[in-house]
Amino acid sequence: MNIDYTKELALVEGNPRLADIDELISRPLTQPVTKKYYIALSISGTALLIGVYSLWLTLYYGIGMWGNNVPVGWAFDITNFVFWIGIGHAGTLISAILFLLRQRWRTGIARFAEAMTIFAVMTAGIFPVIHTGRPWLAGYLIPYPNQHLLWPNFISPLLWDVFAVSTYFTVSLLFWYMGLIPDFAILRDRTVSKVKKTIYSVFSLGWRHSNRHWRHYEKVYMILAGLATPLVLSVHTIVSFDFAVSLIPGWHTTIFPPYFVAGAIYSGFAMVMTVLIFVRKIFDMENLITLNHLERMAKVMLLTSSMVAYSYLMEFFIAWYSQVPSEQYDFWARVVGPYRWAWYFMISCNFLIPQLIWFKKIRRSVPILFIISICANIGMWFERFVIIVQSLSRDFLPSSWHMFTPTLVDFGVLTGSFGLFFTLVLLFAKTLPVVSMVETKSVLEGSQPHHYNDDHNGEVGAGHANITAGVGAALNGGKNGN
Amino acid sequence: MAENIDGQDNLEQKRTDPNYWQSFKDLYNDISFTEAKKHEFSKGVTDDFDLSKLSNVSRRKFIALVSASAALAAAGCSDYRGNGKIIPYRTKPEEITLGVPDYYASTYVENGQDYGILIKTREGRPIKVDGNPDHPASKGKTSAKAQAAILSLYDPERLQQPLRKNSSGILMKSTWQHIDNEISNKLASINGKEISIISHKIVSPTSAQTLNDFKQKYPSAKVYSYELFNESIRNTAWQKCYGDKVFPTVKWDQAKIILALESDFLGTDGNKVEASRLYAQRRNNSDLDNFNRLYAVEGNLSLTGINADYRMRLRPDLQFEFVMSLLNEISKHTDSTIIDSAVMNQYNLYEFAQKNSLYGNILELLVKDLLKNKSASIIYAGRTLPENVHIAVNLLNEILGNTKLYTQDTVEQNDYSLSNKEELENLIQSMNSGSVGAVISFDANPVYHLASDFGFSDALKKVPLVISLSESENETSEFANYVIPISHPFESWGDAQTRSGYYSLQQPVISPLFYTRQKEEVLLAWVTGNYKENIYHDYMMNNWQKNIYPALNEMLDFNRFWLGALQRGIVKTSVDAKHVGSFDKTSLNSLSEKPKTNTGYVVCLRESYSAGDGKYANNGWLQELPHPVTKVTWDNYASVSVATAKQLNVEERDVIEISIGSRKLNIPVVIQPGSSDNTITIELGYGRTKCGIVGLGTGFNANVLLSKDGDVSPWIYTSAEIKKTGDTYEIISTMEHHPINDPLVSGVVKERKIILEGTVLGYKKNPNFIQEQRPENTKSLYNPHDYPGVKWGMSIDLNKCTGCGECVVSCNAENNIPVVGKDQVKVSREMQWIRIDRYYSGSAENPKISLEPMLCQQCDHAPCENVCPVAATNHSDDGLNQMVYNRCVGTRYCSNNCPYKVRRFNFFNFRDHFRDGYQQSNLFDLVYNPEVTVRSRGVMEKCTFCIQRIMDARAAAIREHIPFKGSDVRTACQDACNTEAIKFGDMNDKESEFYKYRNHELGYYVLENLNVRPNVTYLAKLRNTHSEEA
Repeated sequence: MNIDYTKELALVEGNPRLADIDELISRPLTQPVTKKYYIALSISGTALLIGVYSLWLTLYYGIGMWGNNVPVGWAFDITNFVFWIGIGHAGTLISAILFLLRQRWRTGIARFAEAMTIFAVMTAGIFPVIHTGRPWLAGYLIPYPNQHLLWPNFISPLLWDVFAVSTYFTVSLLFWYMGLIPDFAILRDRTVSKVKKTIYSVFSLGWRHSNRHWRHYEKVYMILAGLATPLVLSVHTIVSFDFAVSLIPGWHTTIFPPYFVAGAIYSGFAMVMTVLIFVRKIFDMENLITLNHLERMAKVMLLTSSMVAYSYLMEFFIAWYSQVPSEQYDFWARVVGPYRWAWYFMISCNFLIPQLIWFKKIRRSVPILFIISICANIGMWFERFVIIVQSLSRDFLPSSWHMFTPTLVDFGVLTGSFGLFFTLVLLFAKTLPVVSMVETKSVLEGSQPHHYNDDHNGEVGAGHANITAGVGAALNGGKNGN
Repeated sequence: MAENIDGQDNLEQKRTDPNYWQSFKDLYNDISFTEAKKHEFSKGVTDDFDLSKLSNVSRRKFIALVSASAALAAAGCSDYRGNGKIIPYRTKPEEITLGVPDYYASTYVENGQDYGILIKTREGRPIKVDGNPDHPASKGKTSAKAQAAILSLYDPERLQQPLRKNSSGILMKSTWQHIDNEISNKLASINGKEISIISHKIVSPTSAQTLNDFKQKYPSAKVYSYELFNESIRNTAWQKCYGDKVFPTVKWDQAKIILALESDFLGTDGNKVEASRLYAQRRNNSDLDNFNRLYAVEGNLSLTGINADYRMRLRPDLQFEFVMSLLNEISKHTDSTIIDSAVMNQYNLYEFAQKNSLYGNILELLVKDLLKNKSASIIYAGRTLPENVHIAVNLLNEILGNTKLYTQDTVEQNDYSLSNKEELENLIQSMNSGSVGAVISFDANPVYHLASDFGFSDALKKVPLVISLSESENETSEFANYVIPISHPFESWGDAQTRSGYYSLQQPVISPLFYTRQKEEVLLAWVTGNYKENIYHDYMMNNWQKNIYPALNEMLDFNRFWLGALQRGIVKTSVDAKHVGSFDKTSLNSLSEKPKTNTGYVVCLRESYSAGDGKYANNGWLQELPHPVTKVTWDNYASVSVATAKQLNVEERDVIEISIGSRKLNIPVVIQPGSSDNTITIELGYGRTKCGIVGLGTGFNANVLLSKDGDVSPWIYTSAEIKKTGDTYEIISTMEHHPINDPLVSGVVKERKIILEGTVLGYKKNPNFIQEQRPENTKSLYNPHDYPGVKWGMSIDLNKCTGCGECVVSCNAENNIPVVGKDQVKVSREMQWIRIDRYYSGSAENPKISLEPMLCQQCDHAPCENVCPVAATNHSDDGLNQMVYNRCVGTRYCSNNCPYKVRRFNFFNFRDHFRDGYQQSNLFDLVYNPEVTVRSRGVMEKCTFCIQRIMDARAAAIREHIPFKGSDVRTACQDACNTEAIKFGDMNDKESEFYKYRNHELGYYVLENLNVRPNVTYLAKLRNTHSEEA
């Protein structure tokens, strides 16, 4: 395993032909549905149904079906919300920030991460609605003109959430769809089914791989990336304001915005890693989503884990430094109080276990990475649980302290959120290209025009692909476009 | 269409120019086609439109029907509650104005005490009970039980009509006529066998008169009365010492030193309302020289104990030795040698203290205080203590000249003092021997209350005729042949006399909701043989006119006097209080015997603060009212000390088996800091086996431990054996139990400045000591809002708050707060808007207790307001933190961000959720205050400073063109507070009394350093100890 890191690693391994790439990526879309897929779908579908039933119980009887109580007004509901919003962060980071930073290795994982972002935000978006006591009135949170001249309270962080999350969802969806347009065109060109052709035609918006299309496409993609970049930072910043703006010890902390963003990226990458490890195996995409990709993601995780760990320590330092008794108490109670087990979970999963990533062997070992990524997900869920439940359960007046005990319905809703997410992921994997076909071609070795060591028309690629007319032609796909 | 008359030729001609043709048949002018063209509709198509076959509904009628059904749908589908008929007043009753409440003076009798009450009614339905200001003992205040009685009035599980056992022993519904006839016949043919009437204590002169009349008609009738908890020991001791039958009332307000021995005079012992009012008068922070000092020596931590300046724990069975030691010590310093010195010398206070780990230095202070404050102190023994303790205490008070604090004005209804043990034993013997022909349970429940070794229930089975008069089915009515439903006190006439100075009158405020009669009416019907409406009212008037009115020397004629008396609810008499007689030394003989020393477990049975003697078991407000000390709801328990728990190897919630002789009880344990070791204290009134759905399954029936012979006293038993059973039972408290020594928790209250307190001496030395502890004026980024008009504030004097919880019940009633049930209290979802926080400090053996009523602080910078996304909670221009229920979507963010956690969330529709929709019964609709919204599920709610009362007073001021003043408004909790600890008013009104409290030098705010600017000022508690240190 001697890798020369001084040279850029091949982003696509095995030197596939351009046509092979199309073939490989669109294969899951054309192949008949396998038994394995049905098994997976039925598992996630069952989880989803459990969630639907739990939700029905909640809506029919009230929030009382959960374990929430009066000091602990928020528990699993907002924990799940912040967790899923966090999961959604990897997608935008990969697609927007890494794009702007010209990190070409993002190509292999960008599409999937973006899709996961959208599904995660969809899952997350359910919680602010269902956590309310009267969800049928949740429309009050939307500023609409009305004869009472009643507006929402614009200084409430919960309202900022509404804007932040909906903006984030819209931009992520547009960005994702934007990247899909050329792929839709390829699919349209490849398919023989009339129905599919119609659908792909509609979604490809008349894409003809023309130079002008590409110019527009690249520009819009760049602009959207620029728009999405601040969102990566802003969404979780605003979500963290839900806590930071309040005055509850353990919540009222200025470190929350960067801390939450780092945590979100950490958990987002962990989730992308968890899912991609399966996808690359099942869909034989080990050449497109290479071990190098996983290693790079692991490095991002290590970085963000360290940032999160720094924040943990800083919280303790500030609690001590501030000399605010309730603040000091809260952090001390995290370590030795009744919820210490959750805190230990959090610390070991988010700080101790990721330290293994320092070792290259571990970075490049898929099973260990898988375990680490699962740990990261659990750890990040517990981080939110600790922040929300632990802080609320022991706030200012000891007379009102009370523990939170989850009910079966709480777990049902949590299960359901995973069910929804994975059902959407599975449907996506079967209906849309999970790796961008056009972008993959653009990062093939020799796909980019270069002018060194040769006058022109570098004949690289050992004849696999006769790339002569630069990117545009290459991106036409391995077929004879007409 | 015209017929074709032209025949074929013309058709032929027309064929030449067919401009447009539709078919070949048309083109060639086929004959069948032309024929068909003559008819507009082809054959058969119009068959359905045959007029004769059509329905005969005309178009007019159809439209009429459509509009009628639309109207019906509009009317029928609108979610109209009740769907009953609404009939406006055709002739409006003179006293009722819609929307304006009426108040009626009445009386509520509870455990031999009469409380003067004012019942607020709206449109003819009683909705709230307050105290009657004219009542000499109550003075405008009343007990939690009287307030909660309004809920019992509307209890859907009350008996609704008479029941009669059929031949197979099943209770069947019957009619009054049938029942009256049958019972009258049976009573008439009783053949000289005894008719035993078993009643609670009778305090009503007219009730007594009714019983007299009954006895006249049925000469074999005998009346027995009992109370589960009573003053009989205190009274007999008094009689032995002073000759009067009843213990006098105590002028608590004249006592500078109070020593309470196993006595909960602020809680359950005697007239709590009066005692706490008078007690608190001497806790006035502007009159420090007359501040009283309360010593308490008791086994378990009681409401009185948590208010004591000095509290020591002592097993109740050692009280005699303690009092004798104290007596010895006191008599050493006085020249009185009433008792034989040989007896006295057996006792030594400081040796006793050392032996029982009492604090000798505190006892020294006590002795000094008692000697210094002769004729200005009182020693008061609990009613559960044995007679010799009471006699010794009487002697102590006599020696110290404290008899000046007694007013001998208590009276008992002649002939109806409580039956003693021998009388009850004789009754049961005659029941067993068959010489009792009938037993009438006169609104009593002897099967549940009487000690099991009386064998009452077995004897009852041998009585041929058992009649139970009760509001709802109970343990006794199960044995009855006839179950007679009686009216609630609020549906009944009555009177009461417990003191010589006045009579209280009770008038109904609603006609009986069900087919019930008041208990006296039932008897009168059997006496007179014919029942008519108002029979008892007439009887009572008659009785008053004949027997009471003449002695009053009133100037008014009777009818005018009567109406005035009813209006005031009180009739004062000019009878002077008797003087306390001289001390009878022969009573001291009983002091000479040396008490046995017990080292085993002692079981002490006490009255429950909320369930009474079990009567209130089906009352949700009282069941959910947290215990003033442990904050436990819905259950009773065995309370033990930390050391005893360790010794028994039990933890909280472990079930122990208590056996006293053959009597056994399994009951869970609660570890009570401050409890004396080897003492097990249990409150009675729980574990009812036959009661409504609310009370069923709450707590444990510790009455089974009672013995007719008693031990130390009927309520104190030594030589109990305790075994751990290994079972557990969930005991629910509204405050989480934190081990008192948990380093995580101790210190939190102090360092966060949740409670600030000091001592009287400390305050005298440095009047500014509270202000010095308050944070420096905290700055705000924003300019403060102007409140130019009225700005509401509250001030709570912690010197006066005893932590009794009356305010909680009052708030429940005023603000339509639902009962949530034990399962919901368990998950901390109780809905009460005001709670009393109780904090321990010091050691687990001798803790100090700090109390702090906690309600919405109506902060100027309310943290709940800025986080609500829909602006459902916002600030009014008179400084209130408002809650708009309609707008609330229920994010609970406000509650999370509330540092005081006083917001309450409707996690369910609690009315629907609690006991299968028990609270959704139509009847409960009547108890709601119509001025306050009933909140749906998913809505946040909280204290509003009784906004409905504010708006009412504001409207009144506007109507009458007078300036609106803060003192016009009183909140419900303020009204209920026995000790006037709660003040409410306009903090901008510099003239007002409230302004003084708001800006008092003892005033502080809870968590002031958060700078949320709360508007509830707490006046710091001053402990009246001998040191300056708190």
